Amino acid sequence: MLRYAVKRILSAIPLLLVISLLIFMFIHLIPGDPARIIAGKEATSYEIENVREQLGLNEPLLKQYGIYMAGLLTLDLGNSIRNGATVFDTIAPRFVPTIQLTLLAMLWATLLGTLLGIMAAVRRGKTLDYVSMIIAISGISAPSFWLGLMLIQLFCVKLGWLPVSGLTTWKSYILPSFTMGCGVMAIIARFTRSSMLENLKEDYIRTARAKGLGEFFVILRHAYKNSLIQVVTVTGLQIGGLLTGSVMAETVFSINGLGRLLVDSIGFRDYKVVQALLLFFSLEYIVINLIVDLLYGVLDPKVRYD
Amino acid sequence: MKMCKVLAVVLALTMCFGMVSAYAVTPTDNDVVIAIEGNMSSMDPHNITDTSAISATRGMYEPLVGFDEDRNFIGILAETWDISDDGLTYTFHLRDGIKFHDGTDFNADAVVANFDRILDESNGLRRTPNWYVTAADGSSTPRVTVTAEDESTVTFVLNEGWSTFLNKLALITYISPAALEEYGNDIMYHPCGTGPFVCEEWSEGNFLKMIPNTDYWGDIPSVDSITIQEVPEAGTRTAMLQTGEADFIYPMTSDQEGAVAGDEDIVIDSVPSNIMRYVTLNADVEALSDVKVRQAMNYAIDKNAYIALMYNGDATIADSVFPPTISYYAPQTVYEYDLDKAKELMEEAGYADGFDLTIWCDNATQEIKGATFIQQQLAQIGINVEVVPYDVGSMDADIYVERDEATIQMWYVNWSASDFSADSTVRALLHSSMEPPVSANTAYYENNEFDKLLDDALASADPEVLADLYAQAQAVAWADCPWLFLAVDNVRSAHQTYLTGVHMDPDGRIVYEDAAIAE
Repeated sequence: MLRYAVKRILSAIPLLLVISLLIFMFIHLIPGDPARIIAGKEATSYEIENVREQLGLNEPLLKQYGIYMAGLLTLDLGNSIRNGATVFDTIAPRFVPTIQLTLLAMLWATLLGTLLGIMAAVRRGKTLDYVSMIIAISGISAPSFWLGLMLIQLFCVKLGWLPVSGLTTWKSYILPSFTMGCGVMAIIARFTRSSMLENLKEDYIRTARAKGLGEFFVILRHAYKNSLIQVVTVTGLQIGGLLTGSVMAETVFSINGLGRLLVDSIGFRDYKVVQALLLFFSLEYIVINLIVDLLYGVLDPKVRYD
Repeated sequence: MKMCKVLAVVLALTMCFGMVSAYAVTPTDNDVVIAIEGNMSSMDPHNITDTSAISATRGMYEPLVGFDEDRNFIGILAETWDISDDGLTYTFHLRDGIKFHDGTDFNADAVVANFDRILDESNGLRRTPNWYVTAADGSSTPRVTVTAEDESTVTFVLNEGWSTFLNKLALITYISPAALEEYGNDIMYHPCGTGPFVCEEWSEGNFLKMIPNTDYWGDIPSVDSITIQEVPEAGTRTAMLQTGEADFIYPMTSDQEGAVAGDEDIVIDSVPSNIMRYVTLNADVEALSDVKVRQAMNYAIDKNAYIALMYNGDATIADSVFPPTISYYAPQTVYEYDLDKAKELMEEAGYADGFDLTIWCDNATQEIKGATFIQQQLAQIGINVEVVPYDVGSMDADIYVERDEATIQMWYVNWSASDFSADSTVRALLHSSMEPPVSANTAYYENNEFDKLLDDALASADPEVLADLYAQAQAVAWADCPWLFLAVDNVRSAHQTYLTGVHMDPDGRIVYEDAAIAE
């Protein structure tokens, strides 16, 4: 398993190189000129040209890519075009709120999603199944922007129980993590249900019941454990999605996370920050996929890493 | 039975949403929170041009000169100033006894040190280009030489006449030279000025918290702190104001007004801005090259309907190419909505059957709404308009092209000159040397008389001469109709009644130095 992990990590390096090239190419294909934005609307084309030169934006693209790659290899991501801060200083403080909210959202979404999925599968076709699935479908259908604003209206403006914005006290984490987790909870519930339903039909479940095992053990130890591979796969993907920052929830609750930084930076054509963020997000997905793959082996002894 | 339970739950939820806040908002502390839509790009006052960052830094940093409420120049760090007869030498007499937040003295040497930094192009500061004349070959020469005559006297010698000098100077604030020495261009993380507030914490992309400067040379602020928080979503800003989490919000968008209607604790303020709304008419398009057609189009727009639709009636009809808050504004006779006259002019120009045009606009909902209104109005005189919404970057790529490649016909857009000067208000938009790709004269307006009036005015420093030249320039442009003249926006904000002393400047800057919370 260790050899497998090391092999996977090494194979990620060429993958990241290809990704960095793609990111660099696509980002320079977006129309728009950071020099024009920086020089200001009253600037003439001559002044804009001077800014372009200062920022190194008039170098040939290949040379710019070379500079960018040389920087990457020495872990120097350059400086934000927008205000000159280092890219690391720009991104690092935004990572904390995003990871806090992701973990909280995943925690409640996984617990509730799993519970709803199991209940729905066990009580298939009964009221509990319908109620669980109505909750799940509502969760996935409610746009997080709308949901966030409605929650603010109810819990902050009308009832005055929770703060509207920022992440200052424990109370301020409740609404954003709830908003972020709703869609994930719904997806986990639906996957758990369908996977459980398949497993509950299997022969080994009948065998387990026939040998007199209690229903609780049949469901949790046998049916649920075997459903976990699918659930873990989808949960991993969802974590990846949330870690890239939930733009909607961050905007509604005015949270200084990675999602808002990405959108702001694209608007400003801050190439350096956008490149670094996209590369970082790719790395996140690679790591999460690796963890998911390794978990398969823990969950299913049949899985071998050669 | 089940149905009844579901109904009961739905009803209970509806009641929750419908009920009035169950608590009264009262100030619990002496801290002021201002929620803004924009993003404060930096705390380095020499490296910012966005109003949000200007609002933020003005608590900590101060200029030599500023504006009073009537947009007249007043001394701030400078007590008085003299201008030489040729208008080329400005001598400033600084206030005595002013100290920076780090305890060092503010004096003539500090002014020189700040200008040394601004005039050093290798620093790449956003305020630098204002202080250079850039030629077409890219070479640039500084406009001023700054010299300390003694401890409290500093002179600025201009290389050529520059009537907007004081306007540009009002945008420059002063950083402690000792702090600059220590932090260099990292000064944005360590603000150190002379202002009434000291930076306590700047969380980039999030908030700025300032506390009073107890050694301030003027009145020391009465509040315990001012926090400016970035809140991009209008609904969230309104909710923060309603709950008292924010005491002042900007902007207060018209779609949010319903949410606070009837709330006696919230006041909405509206002040005239320096933002001009207009549509450029590209004179290179054959039909638009005829001034009669351009005038006809102006007569075909119902400006009152435009203001009612776009701003709930809260804006002013544009009656010059200058907004009224700009120096040397001279009102003209509005092209009153008159379809008969418009049709008559179209007929005289040989376009009785109309023609086809495109109008470009930003892809924000409000901008598309405005462009669609123009489309509907011009249809009344047979002009068939297609609305083309764009994202800003892509639109720039299509606008700033060589003249023979230009495809722009009409552009629904707005403009504001942050220095309030007459020259900045129109030069980039209407001077013939500013046609794309050089700058934003997308009307491709070329009038030698207008160019000369602007150039003569730029070289003068005599207010009477300037008033006369700019009045003529406004009359010329108004008659030529390079634009569809629409409206001047109002700047709208809202605050809790217990907060006083915070207001908006016409350029969208929040002024909070005198903030006070009623007990």
